[in-house]
Amino acid sequence: MHGWGISQRIQQFSRGVLDVNQGSLYPALQRLEQKGWIESEWQTTENNRRAKYYRLTRQGRRAVGEEAASWRRYVEAVELILEIS
Amino acid sequence: MPTIKGLRARARALLRRGAAERELDEELRFHIEMETEKNVRAGMNPVDARRRALRDFGGVEPTKEAHRDVRGRWLEELGADTRYALRTLRRAPVLATAAILTLALGVGANTTIFSAVNAVVLQPLPFAQPDRLVMLWEENPEKGWHQQICAPANVLDWQEQVKAFQGITMFFDGAGVSTLTGEGAPRVLKTSGVTGNFFDVLGIRAQLGRTLQPNETWAADGIARTVVISDRFWREQFGADPRAVGRSIRVDGQSLQVVGVAPSGFSFPVEDIDIWVPRAWKPGIRAQVFFRQAHFMRAIARIAPGASLETADAQLQAVAGRLKLQYPATNKYMGAGLTPLHRFLVGDTRLPLLVLLAAVGLLLLISCANVGNLLLVRAVGREREAALRLTLGAGRGRLAKQALTESLVLSVLGGVAGVALGIVGTRVLESLQPPGMLRVSHFAVDFTVLGYVLMIVAGSGLLFGTAPAIWSGRRSPAESLKQGGRGGDTRRMRRWTELLVVGEVALAVVLTLGAGLLVRSFRELTQVDPGFDPHGVLATQIVLSGPKYDSSSQARVFFDQMIARVAALPGVSAAAATSNVPLQGSGYTSDFVVAGRPAGEYYPEITHRMVTPTYFQVMRVKLLRGRAFTADDRAGGPPVVIINDEVEKKYFKGQNPVGQRLTFDKVPNAQSEWLTIVGVVRGERQQTLAAEPSIEAYVPAAQEMPSAMSVLARVDGDPTALGPAIRRLLAELDPDLPVTRMRSVDEIRARSLARQRFLMTMLVVFAAVGLLLAVIGVYGVLGQVARRRTREMGIRIALGSPVSSVRWIVVRHGLTLVASGLAIGIGVAVVATRGLTALLYHVAPADPATFVAVPIVLAVTGIAAAWIPAVQASRADPAVALRAE
Repeated sequence: MHGWGISQRIQQFSRGVLDVNQGSLYPALQRLEQKGWIESEWQTTENNRRAKYYRLTRQGRRAVGEEAASWRRYVEAVELILEIS
Repeated sequence: MPTIKGLRARARALLRRGAAERELDEELRFHIEMETEKNVRAGMNPVDARRRALRDFGGVEPTKEAHRDVRGRWLEELGADTRYALRTLRRAPVLATAAILTLALGVGANTTIFSAVNAVVLQPLPFAQPDRLVMLWEENPEKGWHQQICAPANVLDWQEQVKAFQGITMFFDGAGVSTLTGEGAPRVLKTSGVTGNFFDVLGIRAQLGRTLQPNETWAADGIARTVVISDRFWREQFGADPRAVGRSIRVDGQSLQVVGVAPSGFSFPVEDIDIWVPRAWKPGIRAQVFFRQAHFMRAIARIAPGASLETADAQLQAVAGRLKLQYPATNKYMGAGLTPLHRFLVGDTRLPLLVLLAAVGLLLLISCANVGNLLLVRAVGREREAALRLTLGAGRGRLAKQALTESLVLSVLGGVAGVALGIVGTRVLESLQPPGMLRVSHFAVDFTVLGYVLMIVAGSGLLFGTAPAIWSGRRSPAESLKQGGRGGDTRRMRRWTELLVVGEVALAVVLTLGAGLLVRSFRELTQVDPGFDPHGVLATQIVLSGPKYDSSSQARVFFDQMIARVAALPGVSAAAATSNVPLQGSGYTSDFVVAGRPAGEYYPEITHRMVTPTYFQVMRVKLLRGRAFTADDRAGGPPVVIINDEVEKKYFKGQNPVGQRLTFDKVPNAQSEWLTIVGVVRGERQQTLAAEPSIEAYVPAAQEMPSAMSVLARVDGDPTALGPAIRRLLAELDPDLPVTRMRSVDEIRARSLARQRFLMTMLVVFAAVGLLLAVIGVYGVLGQVARRRTREMGIRIALGSPVSSVRWIVVRHGLTLVASGLAIGIGVAVVATRGLTALLYHVAPADPATFVAVPIVLAVTGIAAAWIPAVQASRADPAVALRAE
């Protein structure tokens, strides 16, 4: 998926809650790529334009799992604190 | 659409920043276009759609910046920093020049010395698979031999019995002298006598014709018939004519057929060999006692494929052990051993080279300290600029990096200048090194050397750049701006510079003490009484060659005539001849037995010398007992010998040796020749000035005629002026005989000290440069101190303090620095100079005289360096000084 596509997905899925600058996506992608979690390739879109497509690597997929788990733990902890108070 | 155009323009400008930047541009453009299209589809007009897209994106340039930050922008920054550094250096040309010159000195000295270390120690020998070659040697505790040259019969036994040796070649140590005749004027050739497998064992092929063959080691009549010539000789004598191979040349009256030309650049065992002549031993020689008793051949073995050094050594030990039992008369105490050839050949040149390398290392450190100081001083001068930039948002790390880049740019510039200087230096070193000292006569600045230089250049850049860099990153901008660049932080900086100065003084102390020790040692050596008077004597070596001098009576007639004619030359007070001129190598050695001592008692290793009767008079060797030789001690007369007092001290304690008899056989028999001792002379130093005279026996040349002698002529005044006259005399006596060597004995003595003088000179030069740099460092720092305290001094003077006590403030500061440096330096030197022990003669590595004298000189120099700024500062008008800040 290319960068613009990713930004559209984030907007859709988060139902507009995560309304950050679209531009900040790109340094983030660069960082992920440096970590080896995603890889990129230049391809042609369906209407014949060149775009840089990103894809999760195996290492990235594993990282998503770990990060998600750690995020959930974090959320649970915060919720727990909120409930107690 | 101006923005797109702008983007494009920028894209073009950024083209050279590489693909990453281009891709980013394209990716972002794609994003904006897609977003614009989406907005158009949603019903906006194109202009608004684009504006909206850009707004949602949140700024293209910040995104790119962020992207670049993630990507890492060191390369880009490096370029910018380098440009910036070059610009600032151009603005301070004096500082830049001083720094680059200082560094160039340090780097140049290192390039030169390291190129020699590289050529001599690091480069492999120019033979095939040189790491498979070992030097074989013999040792004998009874005779005090270590790594001695070998007796050929032993080597032949090793060759046959040690399976781990693929082959052993034997050759004469050093070079012999032969005379080429029949090709124009007689020419002296440097000759190497070798066994036939010499080239095969070393793995050297002829560039033309063939090399020698193993069977040429032997010849039924004992006469060599073939010769391999060197590339140089081939070019000089035959103009590189390929037809030279196959023709015959006359060497020492023998006709030798040139069978091949050695490859260009090959010369072994020493430099500048002209011809290699096969030994051509008679096969029967193997059975003769002398072939196992006389040690006169070097031996190099090639380890067989698959065999290890240890196996070879073990097998060699086994064989040597067997030979001890098999030939007790000659081999009872004879051990054998091997050393990798490279290590053997590097041998004693290693230490001097390492000492020089250490010296230039110290020099480089001193240069670094000086340049570091220069940069620090300037960093303070740019305090406000740096503070301003910090305030405007420059990162501290970034400022530090910039300062470091500046140092690295300086070190690269200094490095380039240094390599240029170093290349000149290697040429100088090549021409200055005493012949044969470094084994290699050409030092190339090759990739190994350049790699080393690159390393030290980068290292020194980091070394002197770190302090200013840390400094640049650390400042508190508010304070710096407030205090106008004279803030409290400068105190920390001052500590840095003072630390550097103390450091460089300490390094200079170590260097100077090392040099001082060598100077002392050299003085000791020059003051040694060699046992003869070298002044005013000319030595002319003549090697008799050819059938004209086959019998010793012919040789005797020749030398008698020569001596008589030389003695008759105007200005010559006396003339003589000797087989060996002292300090130019001594003669052969043997055991000896004194008549009347218990049976079986013998004494090892007395040196032999053949001299004509007037020798002792010409060389002014003191006769202690008995008489000198006379014309009556002639061939066929009663054999006589003169011994030196070392023999008397060792073997005739409490007796008068004169009148006693000795023989040079270990086990006397009926054929033994007994020589009557007729005199005792004071020992002459034979090998080097540093070595005590060894036991020596002089016999009359008339009774044992050598084929090569040096004719000595004593004159009043300059002996070399006699040269032409002696050459004319020789040409009259025999036009086929060249002078193989003509030197004054003073020169021979000087040459015997050439290595020590060379090492001393180099170290003194390095120490002088190091000292100069250190003094400049002290001067620079005290100049600052004086400037800083000008105001205080002004106040003091205004209040009535005497000028001298005000000056003392600065001088005392300087003394503190110098004294600290001296203390540290002396402490380090006490340990470091131990490495010089093997190079010192009659001087301890912690020689008190040197350790007192050198620091005094340094302290005085330090005070002088402090005095000038002190005087300048104290002269300032108090009124002006008070307003100075």
